[in-house]
Amino acid sequence: MISADLVTVDPVALAPALLPALAAILVLVGDAVLPGRRGWQPLLGVAVLLVGAGTALATGLRPVTEPMRTLCLPAPDAACLWTAGPGTGTLQAGILVATAAALALLHDDGGGPRDTTVTTALLLAAATGGAGVAASRDIGTWLVTLELATVPVVALVALRGTRAAAHGALTLLVTSVTSFALLVLGAALWLTATGDVTFAADTVAATWADPERRTVLVLAATVLLSGLGFKLSLVPFHAWTPQAYSTADLGTAAALAAASKISAVAALLVVAQALAGAAVDSGSVSVVIGTLAAASMLLGNVMALRQTDSTRLLAWSTVSQAGWVVLPVAALSADGLRASAAYVLVYALATLVAFAAVAVVGAGALERTRGLLRRDRLTGGALAFALLVLAGLPPGIIGLVAKVVALRPAVDAELWPLALVAVVAVVLGIAVYLRWFALLLGVPDPDAVTDQPRAHRGASAVLWLGTGILVLFSVLPGLLLRLLS
Amino acid sequence: MVVTLLLLVPAVVGLWLVTGGRALEPARARVIAAATAAVTLVLAVVVAVVRPDVDLSWLPELGLRWSFGVDGIAVPLVLLTAVIGVLVTAHAWVDVPEGGTPATFLGCLLLVEAGALATFTARDAVLFFVAFEVVLVPMWLLISRYGDRHDEQARTDAGHRFILYTAVGSTLMLLGILTLVTSAGTSDLRALATGAGAALPADRQLLVAVLLVAGLSVKVPVFPVHTWLPPAHTTAPTAGSVLLAAVLLKMGTYGLVRLPVATVPDGFARLAPVLGVAGVIGIVWGALVCLVERDLKRLIAYSSVAHMGFVALALAAGSETGLQAALFANIAHGVISAMLFFLVGGLKQRWGSVDLAVARPALRETSPRLGFLLVLGLAASLGLPGLAGFWGEFFSVYAAWWPAPDRPRGLFVACAVVAAVGAALAAGYALRVAGTVWVGDRPAAEAAAATPDTSGVELGVLGALAALVVVLGVLPGPLLSVTADAAALLARGGS
Repeated sequence: MISADLVTVDPVALAPALLPALAAILVLVGDAVLPGRRGWQPLLGVAVLLVGAGTALATGLRPVTEPMRTLCLPAPDAACLWTAGPGTGTLQAGILVATAAALALLHDDGGGPRDTTVTTALLLAAATGGAGVAASRDIGTWLVTLELATVPVVALVALRGTRAAAHGALTLLVTSVTSFALLVLGAALWLTATGDVTFAADTVAATWADPERRTVLVLAATVLLSGLGFKLSLVPFHAWTPQAYSTADLGTAAALAAASKISAVAALLVVAQALAGAAVDSGSVSVVIGTLAAASMLLGNVMALRQTDSTRLLAWSTVSQAGWVVLPVAALSADGLRASAAYVLVYALATLVAFAAVAVVGAGALERTRGLLRRDRLTGGALAFALLVLAGLPPGIIGLVAKVVALRPAVDAELWPLALVAVVAVVLGIAVYLRWFALLLGVPDPDAVTDQPRAHRGASAVLWLGTGILVLFSVLPGLLLRLLS
Repeated sequence: MVVTLLLLVPAVVGLWLVTGGRALEPARARVIAAATAAVTLVLAVVVAVVRPDVDLSWLPELGLRWSFGVDGIAVPLVLLTAVIGVLVTAHAWVDVPEGGTPATFLGCLLLVEAGALATFTARDAVLFFVAFEVVLVPMWLLISRYGDRHDEQARTDAGHRFILYTAVGSTLMLLGILTLVTSAGTSDLRALATGAGAALPADRQLLVAVLLVAGLSVKVPVFPVHTWLPPAHTTAPTAGSVLLAAVLLKMGTYGLVRLPVATVPDGFARLAPVLGVAGVIGIVWGALVCLVERDLKRLIAYSSVAHMGFVALALAAGSETGLQAALFANIAHGVISAMLFFLVGGLKQRWGSVDLAVARPALRETSPRLGFLLVLGLAASLGLPGLAGFWGEFFSVYAAWWPAPDRPRGLFVACAVVAAVGAALAAGYALRVAGTVWVGDRPAAEAAAATPDTSGVELGVLGALAALVVVLGVLPGPLLSVTADAAALLARGGS
């Protein structure tokens, strides 16, 4: 432990955010020193991200119940800028692993973008932001790291260089700016209401006692939720999602769908745990969250039912799954927050596997995957399993368990309308994923144009590791939940 | 340990047949599947006799334990499932439908069996739900991949209807289970049945009962949420139909006994009149449709709706007799419907379709053994004394006539009368089918060769079921005594 005059710094605790940041700098410096040799950069990025994920998991697995704090001010009870509570380490590990997967998909053999240095550095920067936001407690760090976690992806979309990609990037940029404005406004309102620069339960409880300040706090929470809604692709802030997914390349879309979503959920949980920890009757906030969740689950699934393109289907699937992620948060209980974290990790893992399978088969019409289970059993089987996990049907038991875990806090808090919407959403979701599943089972069209066989080492690695973890979690679902408590 | 083996043997072999071993040639795949089913049957018998249980930590964060075991209510269903498992895999020597590899087909059959066995042995409410969901995908595959080759659109529709309807039902049931579990503080079904559930306030009990009954009614199926069943049966391959009727529907009634009846008796009592009336409507509705239906497979499916109506009525009556009647009718319907679906599947294989409007040579002339078995099955189905169908229906009507003291007597007496009328209608349609198929309406000489008689494995399968139908009809005592203690326990908890 290094003790400075003003703050304490624990580099081990900070490793999940520090390592990717250092790696990003190394990549940039390395490119200046060794121009033209770029093959090592994604490999370094993946390696560092995996090491970072390991350290994050190690802090998550500590037997201590106290949250791990660092960057604390010297005063005896001063705030700490980095507070990794239970589950934070696991979420950080999820963000880093998901970023590593996106990096592998983006720089798959021969299919990578022209500017490897920039893409690698951007993804590493996003991972730094995600790891930071999960552990942040004060409004300033929270805002900065949240933007750092999400904005680099805008550049990634734009970097593809096509006209459509520029449009997609522009939409995404406008969305991000709007979202940032809302977040800043929400943060200001939060500060006005609570008079506290941190998201802390005790000040929320004190604020709640005063009816006038309570109104401001509810408004602050609503505005913050709206800002996060853009990042989470919650209806009605979802409109950018299908366009961005379909214009970006698969690796970027995977980063948007997985790493970026886990970061946004981590940010949401920071705010939500202040509200949940205050143990006040925050019914109005529940209604706001519940409405967003219900609208996302319904609209996302209904729109996904109509898609004929694999990335667009995955985009709408993200919208509906985002509703499921937020559903347990509406209960504003500790169980609900844990359920949300568990759900987003399962969703991200299954979505990454689906993206990797699409990368192997080739993006485009769903029809391209017709008969995949007969043509390419292993890829088809992995995709089929991921779809069953997303639908929550055995043998994808972890998907089913995630849905049970997500519904339980809502039932506990007696949010009946939301629970009934969830019933409809389960059925719609099954229809969405089974439609694709049925295509995989179909008879392959003999005249179909199939890509030239190409090595997909990155995509294959993501496919196999992801499927392996999903199967492991399906056999031992307790493993995931234990990592979060 | 034995219970875990009972579940894992069909599950693991089934999974392997669906994934790694799916390219296996039919001859080897069916030997493997049949051997697995036979081993499962042996394990089921051991479980039924020794009644071991297993209780391991599985998901501590949810309070969910890997807890399986059997009691008097589960034993007959476990045995029925294992026997049906052997018969459907043996049937692969008679017919393996097209649509995919034979190994995948057989693997799906084993997976459905494993899911059903897990459902019947689960001792934890959430685990029960998970097991309940296991059968969905393999059954969907059986219907939508291996179903009737004639009409692809109908196959897809039937598969979707099956999985979406039952998913609505099971998710509603999940809400009910979660409400029950969070209110009572335990998910152990035994603890819930012995007081933890009954201690809940009346309104909460009613809420739980509404969610559970609404969810499980879809699976049973109870009128008016039965509409998924006829297309599923019409489309599914023979072995799939048999599993659907004999095993899957039983999961619904078993769930009704295990969850609302056992855990929230007061809530269920308030809901019982609705369930009873829905059951009776199902009896009459099913019978009326059967009187005019042309497709023989669909007709048997509607007769299932009618028979499950009797089970629902008996459960709603709430007395010990009612529970006994429901459990007996459950098993009897499992055996009879399995036999009828094997028969009708065999006829469909021989004739290409089972449209009753097409004039065909009399079965008694061309294939007397098949004809005799069909008449036996129909007689059992209409509730002829001396055959399995009689006791369940007789006791159901009796139970409705003398319902539990807290049920509205007048309503249930009316239900009993209507149910008796429904039973008479059943005689009508059974005789109609016998008249058309067995007696026939054309001289036999014209197409005698068109309907080869049953022999070999098919005869063995049908003969085993026929023997069960007769044994259960002549000697209902052993089965009734197996369920008696558990039923008495439940009925006492309820009054």
